Amino acid sequence: MDDQLLQTIIIGLSNGLIYALVALGYTLVYGILQLINFAHGDVFMLGSMIALTLLMMLGVTPGMDVTTTIALIVVVLLVTMAITALLNVSIERIAYRPLRNAPRLAPLISAIGMSFILQNVGLLWKGPASLGFGDVIPNTNVLTTIFGFDTAVELSLKQVFVAVVTIPLLLVLMGFVGKTRQGKAMRATAQDPDTAGLMGIDVNRTIAITFVIAGALAGAAGLVQILYNNTTVWNLGFRFGLNSFTSAVLGGIGNLQGAVLGGIVLGFINAFSDRYLSAQWTNAIVFGVLIAVLVFRPTGLLGQQVADRA
Amino acid sequence: MSSSLINPVHVESTGGLSVWVRGIGATITGWPAAYRAALAKNRRRTILLTVLVATVLLYPLIYTAIPSGLTRILPLPSSPVIVFMLIFAIMAIGLNVVIGFAGLLDLGYVAFYALGAYTAAFLASPHWGGVSVVLFSNVPAGFPGIHLPFMFIILVAAAVAALFGALLGAPTLRLRGDYLAIVTLGFGEIVPIFFKNLVNVNFSFGPIQLVNANLTGGPLGINPIDAPGLFGIKFGVINGFAPVYLGMGLVLIAIVIARNLERSRMGRAWMAIREDEIAAEMMGVNTVRTKLLAFALGAAFAGVAGALQASYQGATTSDFFMFSTSILVVIMIILGGIGNIWGVIVGAVFVQYVDKTLLSWAGQRMADIGNATGLEQFGDINPSSFSFLLLGIALVVMMRFRPEGFIPSRQRAAEMHVAPPGQAIGSIGLIEEEGLVPELDPTEPGGDEDPEIAEVPGEEPVGETIAESRGEVTDEEQPR
Repeated sequence: MDDQLLQTIIIGLSNGLIYALVALGYTLVYGILQLINFAHGDVFMLGSMIALTLLMMLGVTPGMDVTTTIALIVVVLLVTMAITALLNVSIERIAYRPLRNAPRLAPLISAIGMSFILQNVGLLWKGPASLGFGDVIPNTNVLTTIFGFDTAVELSLKQVFVAVVTIPLLLVLMGFVGKTRQGKAMRATAQDPDTAGLMGIDVNRTIAITFVIAGALAGAAGLVQILYNNTTVWNLGFRFGLNSFTSAVLGGIGNLQGAVLGGIVLGFINAFSDRYLSAQWTNAIVFGVLIAVLVFRPTGLLGQQVADRA
Repeated sequence: MSSSLINPVHVESTGGLSVWVRGIGATITGWPAAYRAALAKNRRRTILLTVLVATVLLYPLIYTAIPSGLTRILPLPSSPVIVFMLIFAIMAIGLNVVIGFAGLLDLGYVAFYALGAYTAAFLASPHWGGVSVVLFSNVPAGFPGIHLPFMFIILVAAAVAALFGALLGAPTLRLRGDYLAIVTLGFGEIVPIFFKNLVNVNFSFGPIQLVNANLTGGPLGINPIDAPGLFGIKFGVINGFAPVYLGMGLVLIAIVIARNLERSRMGRAWMAIREDEIAAEMMGVNTVRTKLLAFALGAAFAGVAGALQASYQGATTSDFFMFSTSILVVIMIILGGIGNIWGVIVGAVFVQYVDKTLLSWAGQRMADIGNATGLEQFGDINPSSFSFLLLGIALVVMMRFRPEGFIPSRQRAAEMHVAPPGQAIGSIGLIEEEGLVPELDPTEPGGDEDPEIAEVPGEEPVGETIAESRGEVTDEEQPR
C-alpha cells in the first residue's frame, strides 16, 4: 500500500479513537434522555485541563523513568476520570434533572447555557491562550525501532498509547452496558423510562450513572488529548464536541458500537481531507457529511434504535 | 404595547398574499383611529407608551444634550450600540418566526445574517473592480465596482437569505426537533467557511473560467462597503445618530410584517404545527410547505439585518459570523419571551445593552475604583469578558425558573410549563411522542392521559389557556 495512504489511515485511526470516546458520551446521554448534551465537549475540554494540571503537579516531564511515567499517567487518568465524572453528574443534577418534564427545547437550551459556563470556567482558569505540554511519551516510530520494518510510515509510540488507553475503555463500556445488571437497567430506561420505573429500576440513579460514565470517558479523552495532541484551549470543546457529536450521529445515535465506528470514520474523513484536500475545508466537509447523513440516512450507519425519530 | 396600536384591523384569513399586503396597508392607514381608540380604552397605558416611544425617538437629542460627565454615572448606550440593538432586534424578530411561531429550532441563524452581509458587500463595494455599475447610489458615476441603492440591496439580501433558507430547509425540514437544530448548526458553520475560503478559486466548468479568482475577499473580508443612503442622506457608522433612525424604521417594518404573519392563516398553521404536528397535518395543514415558509421568511429577516450591518459598518469579514452569534440571538429570544415580538425585541435590546454598554461601563468604574483606592486589582477585572459566562448562567437559570422568558406570549408560557400534548409525560420526555399516537389500552386502569393532567395540579390544561388568550383563533379554519 501507498505509504502516504497508510500514514493517513494511522493518523485518522488515532484521532478517531479519541472522537469515539467523546462520541460515546453524546450517544449514551442521547440514548437515555434524547438530549444533545451540548456541554459534553466542554467537559472533555475541562478534562484535558485537569489532566494537564495534574501532570504538572505530579511533575511528569519528558525523559522520566518509564515505569514512573506509566504509573503517574495511570494515576492522572483515574483522577481525571473521577473529577470529570463528578462534574458531569453535577451538571445533570443542576441543569437537566429539574427539566425532565419540560418540553424538549428547555434542556437543550440549558445544555447550551452549561456549555458557555464551562467554556468560561476554562477561560478564567487557564486564560485565553492555547496551552501546550511536552512529549511525555516519545514520538519514537514503533514500526522501525521495535518491529524493525524498513518503512517511511510512522506509527509513533504516542499513537500506540492512544490505542492502549481507548480500546480497553471502549471494550469495558460495551461489556458494562451489554452484560451487567446496571447496563440492562440503562438499556431499559433508554427504551421506556416509565415502564423501567414501574419495573423497579431507579430511573434517576440510572441516568446519573449514565452521566458518570460519559463524564469519565470525556476525562480519559481529555488526558489522551493532552498526551497525544499536546495542546488544549478553552474553546477546544466546541469544535471537538461537534466533531464527536457528528461521529455519534454518523454511527447512529444511541448506538454504542455506532459511536465508535462513527468516531473512526470521522477520524478518517478528517485525516483524508487534511491530507488530500486542504485543512481549511475540513470543517466544512465534516459538517457537510453530518448534514448529508441526517438527510439521507438519519439512523446513521448502524443505528436502528431511533428510526421513528426522523 | 397594545395590539390594536400596531394591528388595528384584523386581517381576514380568507385570501392569500393580496389580503396580506392589504392588511399591512390597513395597519398603516388605520393608525390614527387606532390611537384614538386606544386612548379611549386605556388612557394611562396609552399615554405611558406614547411617552416611551417619544423618549426612544428623541433619545439621540437627549444623549447629545447631556454633559459627557453624566455618562460616567449613567451607562447610556451610544449610537453604534443602539444600531446593533436594532440590527439584533430584526434578527430576533426573524428567528422568533422560526422558533417562536413555528417551533423549529434553528441554531445556524448566523448563516443568513452572513449571506445578507455579503450580499450587501457584493452589490455596494469596489470589490468587483473589473466592472463599473453605479445606479442611484451615493458614489460618483464611473466608480469601479457595483454600487446599487440600499433599498434594493435590502430586498435582494432578504431574497437571497430566503432562497438559501428554502434550499437548506427543503431536504432537512422533515427532520425533527434537535436533529434539525444540528443540521442548521452545521449550515451555520459551513457558510462562513465558504466566505473565508473562496479567495483563490480556480474553477473551470464549460464557459465559466476562474483563475485565482477572489470571490469573497477571504479572511480579510470586503471593505469599504457603501454606507446606506436614502433620499441623499447617508446612514454610515460615521453619520452620528442618523443610522439609529434607519434601524428604527427597519425594525418597525419588521414588526409590522411579523405581526401580520403571526395573525395570518400561515401564522395559525405555524402555531398548529408547533403544538402538534401530526394533528395539524391531519387537519390539512401542508406541514412541509408551512415549515419551509417559516424557515425562509425567518431567514429573510436575518438577510436584512446582515445587509444593514455590513452597509452600516462599511466592512464585513467571515470571522464576524460565529456560532456564538446564532446562540446570542437564541438567548435574546429566550430571555425576552419566546413567541412574543415585543418580548424578543426587549431581549435583543437588553442583551446588547448589557454586553456592549453595561459591562464595559462597569469595567471603567472598576478602574476608577482601582485608581481612587490604589488597589490595582480592581482595574484588572474586566467584566466584559464575563458576558458569555453571565449569558450561560442566565440560560440555565431561566430554563429552570422562567422558561417562557420575561415577556412571554401567553400560549408559549403555557406550553413551556406543561409538556405539549403528544410528548411523553413520565419521568423523562422521550421515545413514544415522536410520530406515534399513544395507544390507549382500555384494560389498563387510568390509561395514558391521566398522568398528564395529574402532573400539573392547579394549572389549567393547555387547551383552555390558549382558548382564553386567543378567542379569535379557536375557531380557526383550515389552511389549504
